[in-house]
Amino acid sequence: MKNYKRLMFVALGVSAVAVATVTFTWAQDAPKGDAGNGKRIYLADGCFTCHGRAGQGGAYNGPAPILAHTALPFDGFKGQVRNPVNDMPAYSDAVLSDKDIADIYAFVESLPGSRSAKDIPLLNN
Amino acid sequence: MPKRRNSADSSRRNFLKGASLVGAAAAVTPPIPANAAPAPAPLKAPVPGPLQTAAETLAPSNDPVNQTSSGGDFMTDVLNSLGIEYMAINCASSYRGLHEAVINHGNNKPEIITCVHEDIAVHMAQGYAKIEGKPMAMACHGVVGTQHATMAMYNAWCDRVPVLVFGGNIMEADKRMPGAEWVHAGVDIGQIVREFTKWDDQPASLTHFAESTVRAYKIATTPPMGPVFIALDAELQENPIPDPEGLRIPKFAPVVPPQGDSGAIAQAAKMLVEAQNPLIICDRVARTPAGMAHLVELAETLQCAVIDNVGRMNFPSRHPLNQSFRRGLIGQADVIIAMEMNDLWGTLTHFSDRIVRRSRPGIKPDAKLITLGVRDLYLKSNYQDFGRWQDTDLDIAGDAEASLPALTEAVKRLLDDGRKSAFDVRGKKLAAAHLAMVEQSKTDATIGWDASPITTARMCAEVYGQIKDEDWSVVGTTIRLSWPHRLWDFKRPYQWNGVSGGAGIGYNLPASLGAALANKKHGRFTVSFGGDGDFMFNPGALWTAAHHKIPILYIVQNNRAYHQEYMYLVAMAARHGRGVDKMDIGTTLKDPNIDYATVARGMGVHGEGPITDPRDLGPALARAIAVVKSGEPAVVDVVTDPR
Repeated sequence: MKNYKRLMFVALGVSAVAVATVTFTWAQDAPKGDAGNGKRIYLADGCFTCHGRAGQGGAYNGPAPILAHTALPFDGFKGQVRNPVNDMPAYSDAVLSDKDIADIYAFVESLPGSRSAKDIPLLNN
Repeated sequence: MPKRRNSADSSRRNFLKGASLVGAAAAVTPPIPANAAPAPAPLKAPVPGPLQTAAETLAPSNDPVNQTSSGGDFMTDVLNSLGIEYMAINCASSYRGLHEAVINHGNNKPEIITCVHEDIAVHMAQGYAKIEGKPMAMACHGVVGTQHATMAMYNAWCDRVPVLVFGGNIMEADKRMPGAEWVHAGVDIGQIVREFTKWDDQPASLTHFAESTVRAYKIATTPPMGPVFIALDAELQENPIPDPEGLRIPKFAPVVPPQGDSGAIAQAAKMLVEAQNPLIICDRVARTPAGMAHLVELAETLQCAVIDNVGRMNFPSRHPLNQSFRRGLIGQADVIIAMEMNDLWGTLTHFSDRIVRRSRPGIKPDAKLITLGVRDLYLKSNYQDFGRWQDTDLDIAGDAEASLPALTEAVKRLLDDGRKSAFDVRGKKLAAAHLAMVEQSKTDATIGWDASPITTARMCAEVYGQIKDEDWSVVGTTIRLSWPHRLWDFKRPYQWNGVSGGAGIGYNLPASLGAALANKKHGRFTVSFGGDGDFMFNPGALWTAAHHKIPILYIVQNNRAYHQEYMYLVAMAARHGRGVDKMDIGTTLKDPNIDYATVARGMGVHGEGPITDPRDLGPALARAIAVVKSGEPAVVDVVTDPR
């Protein structure tokens, strides 16, 4: 049963990759970022203040979304940084270059996302 | 009105008498030649001084030094007649008469709670009232103490909480000692707080005091509730009661809160029953333990969604109809009933905090809006706590808790089997969505689970893991800390008591202590989360907790910043395209880091931390909880990620 579930997840993952390949081919144009430098900028320039050091999300005037292991394609991510919706401040290239954004993107992509809450007894009270 | 014994006057009178005698003696004594040899010392008793001479030769003055009654005794009786359990004070001469009377005439009843700042005293009263359901008193010192009390009174005003505030004063100018009594006195000290109190008075006699205090109590506890202020003349407190037989304590009968008009209630019921997606939004509905049960009954009858703004313990967090973290439902509702809302427009509107501030409605254009509450029945103009105007379709003036049973009955009368069946389907969908929301919250909480600084989700889960089997009560939270309501099972009326009201920092620590004081006699386990910024406004409150042995587990969510302001500064810098990496200046609490556990220990409170490793948090909490269960307060300093 356990193996079956694992296979299901693999199958779903492959399917998701296939769909993403078709739908978001432009995401492949994302520049290769430096996750280490991205972390430095993420912490220095205040990204963490709303989104958390672990990319776990948080709150500004309203909820600030989770960024850890983001599913956003790079262009969408960059678009939100440059011309954000809601109350997120816009970061112009005067404060964040395209390379900085790519580095930040690489960093948040590298962050481990959520895991199963069932594995954490404290979350099952 | 009794007259104040004026020691300054009597001293001056005696001094002048003495001066006259000295002058008279000088007039009859022959002059001594300059070259005369010194005379030997006389072998007799020295000549009495002028004061002694006057005391021995003049008739006794009307300057009594003892008294057998005082106005303060009567005032104490009035307070006790109202069942006031506690009086929080920072001791001061302008109400020394009442203070002494409470201790000796009242046998320390109401019990004096010693505070090191008036802001602490009023906030304690605010937190206490929201748990105990009745006011406690506080006293402050003339214009200076009253000014210290103002921020807390404003929070209580915005939070619609009854607090009975007394301010010492010396009304008659000729009775004030030179110095402090002048700079601490005012013609109308209630003016300081009038914009954010429901009522105030400055009684000029004991009868006046009694009637005004009972009236103030009644006004404070009548919805919409709020703080009241009574100026206490020192003469009235301190001097003998001139006519004890003429005094009486007025009879207090609590006001029965008003229900909404029956016709309007019936109309609201019809609108709710006929709606496809009705929605209940609530803020400060439950003012007694019955309130939550009434709201649950209405929601279950309608099988409709409830969005709780958590101004009070309105609705169980794990109730299947609780959709508080699904705000998108506001935009899907066709009929919304909003109850005792603090900021209805803000709840129903999308607002952009951008260069051009814009807003757009968050509700459907054809959605019908019903309001039920008493908040708008008492408003003032200067402070803008009433929020922006919101169009409504049916505006019912009536206390929501008092009106809920009638509304539920009206809904039930309109139900038939067809509607019940449709409602059940709706309820099942909402229950499934609620369950998914809870599971999503748990999953979200896993992100950064082992990180340092500790995530707020981990912090809250660790605390809940250790107190969930206690009879717990959460009485404070930090800004936008939603994890307890996302993860914990709030289901009892005292398990939550709302937030500050006016968002004035400095509320959380002392208000939590006031709530813990109320919980103490019920044997409940009190826990509170407070920000580090809030902590530093009133750290002296911890001494009060230690002194009065108030058991509370106080978790300092230490993100080492005034974090909301930090984020705002980053936004400002980003807007200008400059210096986003410098916004920690003026917004953070570091260099040096504050050690809150050491601060706590310095006040006589058990302190744990700073905890930076999540693996250390559980053991630290266990030690602190053992202290709290022994009847003492404990502070745990948890170094956390921002939010």
